Amino acid sequence: MRIVAIDPDSCVACRDCEYACAFRQSGDFARTASHIRVNFYPRERACVPLTCMHCTEAGCLEVCPAAAISRDPDTGAVTIDEARCAGCKMCLLACPFGNVHFDKADGVSRKCDLCGGDPMCVRSCISGALRFIEADEAVDVRREALDAKLRRLLHLDKEEK
Amino acid sequence: MPQGREIQQTLCRMCDDRCGIDVHLEDGRIVDILGNKDHLWNRGRLCVKARAAVDMVYHPDRILAPLKRTADGWQEIPLEQALDEIAARLVEIRERHGARSLSVWKGEAIGFGQQENLARRFVHAVGSPNYLSNDSMCYAARYFGYKLVDGAWPVPDLENARCIVMWGANPPYAHPNMTPHITAARRKGATLVVVDPRLSAIARRADLHANLRPGTDGALAWGLVHQLLEAGAYDKDFVERHTVGFPQMLEYAKAFTPEAVEEETGVPAAAVRAIARALAGAAPQVAAYVGNGLEHHENGVNNIRAIATLDALLGALNREGGMLFKEAVPLRELTLHDEVPLEHLDPLGAKRFPVLYDLRRECHTMTAIEAILHDDPYPLRAMIVTGANPASTNPNSAKVLQALQALDLLVVRDLFMTETAAVADYVLPAASFLERTELHAHAKHQIVSVTRRVVSWPGVQGEYDFWRDLAFRLGCADYFPWEDETALNRWLLEPTELTLEELEAHPEGVEYGPARPRRGEETGFDTPSGKVEFASAYLKDLGYDELPVYRRPAYREAPDAEYPLVLITGARTLLYMHGRFRNIPRFLTAIPGPEVEMHPGDAAALGVTDGDAVRVTSRIGAVEIPVRVMAPNEIPLGSLQITHGWKEANVNLITHDDRFDPVSGFPLMKSVEVRVEKVMPDLGAEAPA
Repeated sequence: MRIVAIDPDSCVACRDCEYACAFRQSGDFARTASHIRVNFYPRERACVPLTCMHCTEAGCLEVCPAAAISRDPDTGAVTIDEARCAGCKMCLLACPFGNVHFDKADGVSRKCDLCGGDPMCVRSCISGALRFIEADEAVDVRREALDAKLRRLLHLDKEEK
Repeated sequence: MPQGREIQQTLCRMCDDRCGIDVHLEDGRIVDILGNKDHLWNRGRLCVKARAAVDMVYHPDRILAPLKRTADGWQEIPLEQALDEIAARLVEIRERHGARSLSVWKGEAIGFGQQENLARRFVHAVGSPNYLSNDSMCYAARYFGYKLVDGAWPVPDLENARCIVMWGANPPYAHPNMTPHITAARRKGATLVVVDPRLSAIARRADLHANLRPGTDGALAWGLVHQLLEAGAYDKDFVERHTVGFPQMLEYAKAFTPEAVEEETGVPAAAVRAIARALAGAAPQVAAYVGNGLEHHENGVNNIRAIATLDALLGALNREGGMLFKEAVPLRELTLHDEVPLEHLDPLGAKRFPVLYDLRRECHTMTAIEAILHDDPYPLRAMIVTGANPASTNPNSAKVLQALQALDLLVVRDLFMTETAAVADYVLPAASFLERTELHAHAKHQIVSVTRRVVSWPGVQGEYDFWRDLAFRLGCADYFPWEDETALNRWLLEPTELTLEELEAHPEGVEYGPARPRRGEETGFDTPSGKVEFASAYLKDLGYDELPVYRRPAYREAPDAEYPLVLITGARTLLYMHGRFRNIPRFLTAIPGPEVEMHPGDAAALGVTDGDAVRVTSRIGAVEIPVRVMAPNEIPLGSLQITHGWKEANVNLITHDDRFDPVSGFPLMKSVEVRVEKVMPDLGAEAPA
């Protein structure tokens, strides 16, 4: 299945993805309405976007007592049926990455549903840090990034000699 | 009205990046905007500004009928009456004060492509040389910097570069689509160098971030020149065959040792050496882009020229991964500069800033304000503003507003009631980029597109119709013979071998001619000598520095004890484009208002924290604004930053309209001496006894 692959080494924390997601969910730009969240740590210049991984063994799905969480057969996304959600928040506790959020106004849990297969976060990612690709391609991306770093190091080594 | 759902492809003009967009319509009404996956530039990606065009087009505050100022406030009048009355006033003013007392001022609010030249055409047709625009505060100084050295402003080939240098530019916010190209290069191992006093969004990804003192970029550039020359790491063959001024450069660069550069810029000597090594190691695949951050300084053009010389030294001109010369679309010339030359009428600012007029045919907006207020050098009495908001965006806003109110006639065409429109005699509704057809070129890919009229409003004129109808009433209809925008577009395209039908069938753009590699080396560079000019005889003849001499910013050369801090203005934000979009509600949710960015050390010294109000004062004026305390590496100690465009705290109340770069005439807006005081909260009745 295709996932939203994240490359923190390319992210500039512009928050286009957060706003695009929040807009789709709520029609507004409040960060709290977004399923993807980007944290920026200035001292380390670290940009960390994070969204649902749609785990094969999804803790949120397994723990849900109302059977409100299921897997979309078309996209593979783990999605929440708002009508069934009891608002117990067990899914928030079960997610090891903090990627399920609670909507206080409606009293239900909310999370990424991959926008039905064309995620808006990726379409609005202007740095290219987010890509909607097969999981194994995402590994290639990591390797590519690592290779780039090694190439740079090797290049500098050569230069110092 | 068209029924059902349809998608029309055109270009976004919410900023100047011109991304390909799919406009989704339902029964003729725009309901969504998504990225066009076939467009070479953005390949389906789109920032969140684009979708907000839906909100802009249907905004409840849109001006959709002509307004006339009366004793009882605004009165809606028919378009024909408005045009008749405006024309009659223009004729009267022209008879009394001469044609040069008329002017036009073009801005960015409507998102022009080729149509900005209609304003130039109109003003020359009525006999005045006074064309004013935002270009005399943005873009032109960078154009001059490169034009004077290379004969053109080359385009950085970012995705193929092995080293990328961003000088005072923040692509994620200002030119979104440069960002994925930078990412692509970094993924292939390119080094990213960012030169910016602030930790901008792009600086977050920099391998080397030179957070220099504002306005000292020229010293760093010369320091890099010094390192390259000293190490012999420059393209000797290119320098020998294709440049002039190298001996003078060699001599002048000697003083810029890494230690001297550290002393001047605050960038450690080791970092200067590291950047020079990165450039030399990647040459000739070094791509650089200079942003607006370099322009608003008293030594702006020379700093940019110094940066431009690096490309030639590195052998990066015309090289893959370096700096590419692109061809302009060979459209017909819409301006009347050659047909109706009006230099003898003393275009405003042309005497004091001859380069601005000679190379861009721009008048100087700050000089125009003086002409309005003091009849100096002659009276300027009428102004037609199209899509500009100088009351917000020009320096010394209080004086600008006073001048606009002193005009005999001010006509403003815009989408909304801006600060400038609010003091006009007539406000006319303008057509947004989704309501006109217009030619746009993407120089990087050498493609030209025609944008579509996706929607329209009854009685809202496009740009061409407006200028034509006014010209007709002023007796110069001969200069506007085309029946409509379509006929005009056909005429413009005549020399290109492209047809309008072809462009309409290819909204993703049509290539208008392959780039000529090695242009310059084979045919000569488009400079007076035909070579890359490290030293400019043209500037020398005009009384300027022959070399791109570095001059210290005034705040370092002659510190003003009363104004000990340095204010940078105009840093870009993700959502706002200069003065625009402050009326999009969800943008205000994300970025609710103005702030002054401050180093934690300066905040501690003032005893302020996030949200506290301070008064920032310069020799021009004062503004009250809430504080935002940054991390220590996000802004240098002693420097502040305020973004322009907020009514609530307009930073241009304190920027300089009396200190300029001598070549470009650009005002001092990015190293303004200021002092800051904490504003004690007004506790009012609830204050404890």
